Amino acid sequence: MRSLITTLIIIVVLGIAFLLAGPFYTIEEGEQAVVVQLGKIVAVHTNAGLHIKTPFLDDVVKYPRRIMAWDGEPQRIPTKENQFIWVDTTARWKIADPRKFYESIQTMEATYSRLDDIIDSAVRTVIAENWLRETVRNSNRIRQNKAEEIENFELGSEQDAGQLSAFTRSDVTYEVVQKGRRKLAEEILQRARQTVPEYGIELIDVVPRQINYSDELTQSVYNRMIKERNQIAQAFRSYGEGKKAEWQGKLENERRAILSAAYEKAEKIKGEADAEATRIYAQAYSRDPEFFDFWRSIESYKTTMPQFSKTLSTDMDYFKYLYSPRGR
Amino acid sequence: MSYSTGNIKKLLGPTSILLAIGIIVLIILMSTSFYIVDQTEEAVVTRFGKYLTTNGPGMHYKLPFGIDKHYLVKTKVVQTEQFGFRTLKAGVNTVYSQEAFPEESTMLTGDLNIVDVEWIIQYRIVDPRAWLFNVNPKERTTTIRDVSRSVMNMLVGDRAILDVMGPQRTEIESEAIQLMNDTFKQYGLGISVITVKLQNIVPPQGVQAAFEDVNKAIQDMNRLINEGKEAYNAEIPKAQGEADKIIQIAQGYASERVNMARGDVARFNAVYEEYRKAPDVTRRRLYYEMVENIFKDDKGTTLIDRRFQNFLPLKNLDTRGGVQ
Repeated sequence: MRSLITTLIIIVVLGIAFLLAGPFYTIEEGEQAVVVQLGKIVAVHTNAGLHIKTPFLDDVVKYPRRIMAWDGEPQRIPTKENQFIWVDTTARWKIADPRKFYESIQTMEATYSRLDDIIDSAVRTVIAENWLRETVRNSNRIRQNKAEEIENFELGSEQDAGQLSAFTRSDVTYEVVQKGRRKLAEEILQRARQTVPEYGIELIDVVPRQINYSDELTQSVYNRMIKERNQIAQAFRSYGEGKKAEWQGKLENERRAILSAAYEKAEKIKGEADAEATRIYAQAYSRDPEFFDFWRSIESYKTTMPQFSKTLSTDMDYFKYLYSPRGR
Repeated sequence: MSYSTGNIKKLLGPTSILLAIGIIVLIILMSTSFYIVDQTEEAVVTRFGKYLTTNGPGMHYKLPFGIDKHYLVKTKVVQTEQFGFRTLKAGVNTVYSQEAFPEESTMLTGDLNIVDVEWIIQYRIVDPRAWLFNVNPKERTTTIRDVSRSVMNMLVGDRAILDVMGPQRTEIESEAIQLMNDTFKQYGLGISVITVKLQNIVPPQGVQAAFEDVNKAIQDMNRLINEGKEAYNAEIPKAQGEADKIIQIAQGYASERVNMARGDVARFNAVYEEYRKAPDVTRRRLYYEMVENIFKDDKGTTLIDRRFQNFLPLKNLDTRGGVQ
């Protein structure tokens, strides 16, 4: 009984020791492994699961089979027109050939510095060979969108908008983009890909994460943007002044027109009344012009005489009885 | 004493040790064999590291001692990434970080201007197996953020600044979802972007004043136009009233003129009718009445005898009268 238990314990202990030393090992999902036997690669496993190795002799080096990220430092690169821009790129890569990777690089840290060199140089070359617009834009859609500028403002009336757009629209014809950002990213990728297979690496993509003007350039771009806005603001203000003047002109015009029309009408009315009065007088007075003459004269004397300073002669008919009762 | 020694002996006996080992093994077995999956999660199970199955919510059994491993992935939870800003504390009054993140938000637009764009994306893990094993776990978030930033940069870079700030926001959002999902599918990240929402899109600090000035200019323009209209409205109705006044006065004059004529004539006619009956007498009467009428109140009139021939009357032109 005692010896049986002892044997059992020994077997268990040996079993555990055997299992601990190998020959089994697991490869997790997302991992791959190179089996190195005394410095020589004897096997490459890319599928997950339980695997067997020779205990004590075999060394298992595990690498990720997952997609890894590469994050580069932003680089200051001149474009084809020699404008300096900051380009911040990132890349995705994975170990496609663990054997080559083991042979040429071995550690992950070393990989990143290789990738730095390769991708940075590819980015630099491609950006420097192309115009800035190729890096910034992806397509030529901006050329179709541009007429809408004025519609972005809240204006009072449709008509104002029509007249204003002639001033505010900055008639820039955007140059045609030949390749565009995606194509450039593709070019960078192709260029970088030329060298990485030696390391057992596959580059999945290289994308510019951010593109920015260099600091000096930023300032002048700001100035340009400010001027552009000022120009538009000026147009609005001046349009307003113009409209105001237009209203003032309209005012003057209509005021004069109204008053002169009234004058015309008034004179006409007066003239007609004068004519009517003349007709009435003529009709009545022509019945006896001689009496009219007398009548009108004495009527007139009544109103005009009191205003003169008078020295009269008694020669007047009025005084004829002054010298004699029979007159004269 | 002997009893207790015997007891210890008995406890240390082979059967008891085996029993103890058995119980420990059982406990380990139990504790590593069952696991619970929450309603919001799914569990990916691997056996010897190799993918075995994916289980939904509930309690599940697996092989113990690390032979089977399970990974819980929150597949129902919508996750959010923020770009250009950070929420410090979400709540009724959400607190945002005062810090700006220009390295995320500053972008070049298609017309080579600079704009600050803030946005969020929301995504859900749709394929937990892909999520776990296809992309380096430490770099998943970085990858999502990098792709999102690169896509947003590209979309903004394709449009004019005013389009980005205004009319094309929704278009950018929907295109961004499309492009991001394409890229994530290519990587096999196992996520699906549900929402891309643009937040603040503003010109950079240094030029904001100029942008605002345009809006002010529009206000100025409208003010000036209204001033013009105001002056017009202040004058023209008044002028119309004045015109009416002129015409009314003229009409008044006309009525007066005609009525007076009619009155004069009526009087003349009446007198004339009587005059015709006795012309001579009437004529004389009218004459005398007229003279009387003129002179009856007059005091300063000088009368000169008609016989004073060749005599120059002295007339004092001074108002006080009398010869000096």
